[in-house]
Amino acid sequence: MKKTKLGEFEELVLLTVACLQEEAYGVEIKRELEERLKEKLSVGSIQSALKRMEQKGFLTSAFGEATQKRGGKRKRIYTATPYAHRILADMKEIRASLWNAIPAVIGARLAHELKAI
Amino acid sequence: MIRPTDPDNYLGKPPGWPLRFLRLFVKKEYLEEIEGDMEEIFRDNVERVSLKRAKRIYTWEMLKLLRPILLKNMEGIEKLNQYGMFKNYFKVSLRGLMKNPLNSFINIFGLAAAIGICVFLYAFAQWTFSTDQFHKNKNEVFLTTFFADRDGSLQQYGITPRPLGELLRHDFAQIKKVCRVEDRSVVVKYDDHVFNERIRYTDPEFLEMFTFPLKWGVSSSLADVNSIILSEKMSIKYFGEENPIGQSILIRFDKDRSKAFKITGVAEDFPTSRTIDFAFLINFENFRTSDPGYNFHDWSRLVNATLIQVGHPDDLKSIERGMDKYRKLQNEAVKEDRAISSFAFEPLATLHKRSENIADDISRSSDSNYTSVLFLSIIGVFLLALACFNYINIAIVSAAKRLKEIGVRKSIGATRSVVILQFLIENVVITCFALILGLLLGWTVVIPWFENLWHFNMGFRLNDFNLWIYLPTLLLITGVASGIYPAFYISRFEVVGILKGSVRFGNKNPLTKIFLGVQLVLACIFITMAVAFTQNTNYLAHRGWGYNQDEALYAVVPDQQAYEKLSALMTRNPNVLAISGSAHHLGKSQATTVLHFPDREYEADQLSVDANYFETMGLQLEAGRGFNDYDGSDKQAVVVNDLLVKNMAWENAIGKLFRIDSIQYEVIGVLKEFHSYSFSKPVRPTIFRVAAKEDYRFLSMKVRSGSEVETYKTLQAGWAALFPETPFNAGFQEDVWGFYYQEIEIHGHVWRVFASVAVALASLGLYGLVTLNVSGRLKEFSIRKVLGAGVKNIAANIINQYLILFAVALTIGAPVSYILIKLLIDFAYKYHMPVTFWSVSIGVGILVFILLATVSTQIRKVVNTNPVNGLKVD
Repeated sequence: MKKTKLGEFEELVLLTVACLQEEAYGVEIKRELEERLKEKLSVGSIQSALKRMEQKGFLTSAFGEATQKRGGKRKRIYTATPYAHRILADMKEIRASLWNAIPAVIGARLAHELKAI
Repeated sequence: MIRPTDPDNYLGKPPGWPLRFLRLFVKKEYLEEIEGDMEEIFRDNVERVSLKRAKRIYTWEMLKLLRPILLKNMEGIEKLNQYGMFKNYFKVSLRGLMKNPLNSFINIFGLAAAIGICVFLYAFAQWTFSTDQFHKNKNEVFLTTFFADRDGSLQQYGITPRPLGELLRHDFAQIKKVCRVEDRSVVVKYDDHVFNERIRYTDPEFLEMFTFPLKWGVSSSLADVNSIILSEKMSIKYFGEENPIGQSILIRFDKDRSKAFKITGVAEDFPTSRTIDFAFLINFENFRTSDPGYNFHDWSRLVNATLIQVGHPDDLKSIERGMDKYRKLQNEAVKEDRAISSFAFEPLATLHKRSENIADDISRSSDSNYTSVLFLSIIGVFLLALACFNYINIAIVSAAKRLKEIGVRKSIGATRSVVILQFLIENVVITCFALILGLLLGWTVVIPWFENLWHFNMGFRLNDFNLWIYLPTLLLITGVASGIYPAFYISRFEVVGILKGSVRFGNKNPLTKIFLGVQLVLACIFITMAVAFTQNTNYLAHRGWGYNQDEALYAVVPDQQAYEKLSALMTRNPNVLAISGSAHHLGKSQATTVLHFPDREYEADQLSVDANYFETMGLQLEAGRGFNDYDGSDKQAVVVNDLLVKNMAWENAIGKLFRIDSIQYEVIGVLKEFHSYSFSKPVRPTIFRVAAKEDYRFLSMKVRSGSEVETYKTLQAGWAALFPETPFNAGFQEDVWGFYYQEIEIHGHVWRVFASVAVALASLGLYGLVTLNVSGRLKEFSIRKVLGAGVKNIAANIINQYLILFAVALTIGAPVSYILIKLLIDFAYKYHMPVTFWSVSIGVGILVFILLATVSTQIRKVVNTNPVNGLKVD
């Protein structure tokens, strides 16, 4: 965890990129995340997360196809790097181990309370 | 209108400016992707929500894209060597502002007030310069005019012979379109709405040559003689907010002729800066039904306007060369005195400016607006100068407090130019604040104030490209103008002197006094103007019109029978003292006629009236007699006004002879000076003739003083009973000048506001100076007080410093103001009060009072403080 500096929102974006595969470009990522989070996101926030993660080496990108709907502009398709996959896996593991460390009863209650929120 | 079939257009495009904005700021390598994303989202949104909403979302998202990581490289700046220093300057400026809230307030508020007025000035100039510029073909459309010799000088006329339009259309290949324009008064009736209106007969090309887009309907429908096109205002007047297309509306041309028209178009609201518009448009061919006597081929008759449109402005030269044959045709048809000397064409783009010198043209003149722009610019520059002087004075005087800072800066290596730069930057920061505040002031206070005064809308928008050139220019000029001298002055001192404490300055700078002096002179001028204009408004309000306008009522009648019925009814009313019928009426209508003398031709206004008219209206005879009261009397007699006598240089006017249209007339009486139209228009040479009874169009009444309103109501009720089908058109004689009195009152109002701002600026500056001066001498005053100095001594001590300055400023200011008012008031008003030193004295009095009040606040402060506190300093 120490030097990865992956923020919470960044992590969500990164996971979305990973699951969208070839479809991972700006608008699609936004759509997917909005659906899952059930809230509106601005293009600016998505773009700045993507650019930041690209600089940190979590993502690479390449131009994709252009469509009429985009006014003839090409998409930029993002791909998560192996490094990113490793970090994501690491984090999942750390979280899972923490969840496991919570005693069962409290864990259930905590999960219940979290749901209530 | 044809609906666009292109799907791209149909769906609507995203607004353009956010995109340009984005391209300006966002890194190039990201642009393609982000632009594409934004467009895609926009398209999705258009399908889901309204186009307007989608556009709003688009714009808002664009703005939210401005995040550091996406922006073009800004971090480069930090690498600059001087970055730290600049940052320090800003910090020091802001701290300086916080430390001296009073001075900062004077500086920023003063500048903001001046800038606010400059913003308003911009809006007004922009509005004026855009007059009629919305016409797409403004450079290709021309008004046909002619020159004619009138009493020795060439006069340009905007009217044209009737057949000319049709001939132009056929004779010149270069002329693409022609339209004739004629205006007539008619009665318009829809349901129970019946009103007198002006209607415009024109050719269908009118709406192609002028750019008046339609809100509803099709403009080409004007080709149909049964169509009528309304302005938005008229549409609302008759139909409210409803779409009236397809409705039928009745136009009554005269007593016997009327016709139902189908509404086929409603124009969009006209831009406010226009000089040509219309209320109703119908096809020119309607003259065949509305006026069977209308001869389209009569060269001796004129139409209100003939406009042509050429393919290219250069084609005009060849057309002008070919116009001579029409001149001959025209001059054969008319009598010698109406001969014209040449035809000329006026481009639509500049017509409104030239309109002042063209008689009888369809365009209103914008000349007075251009003059106003000039005056307002001068005022704006003066106010800005006042605010800058304040800044300079306060900066110089308060520099004493910053000597140490400058010394330290210099000793650790700042060169003189660096110190100058620092002070200039400081100044730009202050001006920036002032600019923002000023823009707000101008936008939310000054512009609405002015628009409310004159009831119009200048269409001021913040997203005006030129505004954003104007404002930074203003910022730079004000910033540098006010900052350059203090910067040079302060940076001049030697380090050693400063740190040793041997440099003392600030209070003795002669320039400070000069600036203050100039401010006082300017303030004096402004106050005197305000006083003079206010006095003049009062004077004009009480100046007589040369007849009894207060106790007179008038009514417009359609014909002689109506006159007689109404007259019979009103004679029975005990409040009515006299009744008169006339074809023309003072302040409402008159004819222009040419008087032939053996040696000269002379143009004069002519009113045809009956024998009672002079008594009814209260016109006073200076010599001779009025008309006799029996049928057929004085058919060849005229009564003239004294100006005509003066211009003719007649010793004794009675019995003088001249001809009008080959009939000989004799002068039987001379009237004292009277004003038919407002004081803003010069009195014209005027003659009165006896009107034939069948020409009566006005009924005027003299009523018992105090019964005006009551009689008006009786008249109205009587009218409604007699002529239920004809709209009532009558009024109080004192209202015929329209908004004239409100208008001159506004002049006074505007000057008072400007004067208040100028005086406020000057006294703020003085206040700042005195405060600094007093606080610098606190120790001295404390010692004086301890040694027993009283209020008198201290007051004398403070005032003495400024006394000579005040005296010099006022001795220069008073005569300058006097000369300026004379010039300005002569220029602004044809008739005005005699300018005396009285207005100047009042102005100077007010100024001296304000100055003393300003200084005395500081005297009080010194007197009331405990000397111990003053001596404890340091």
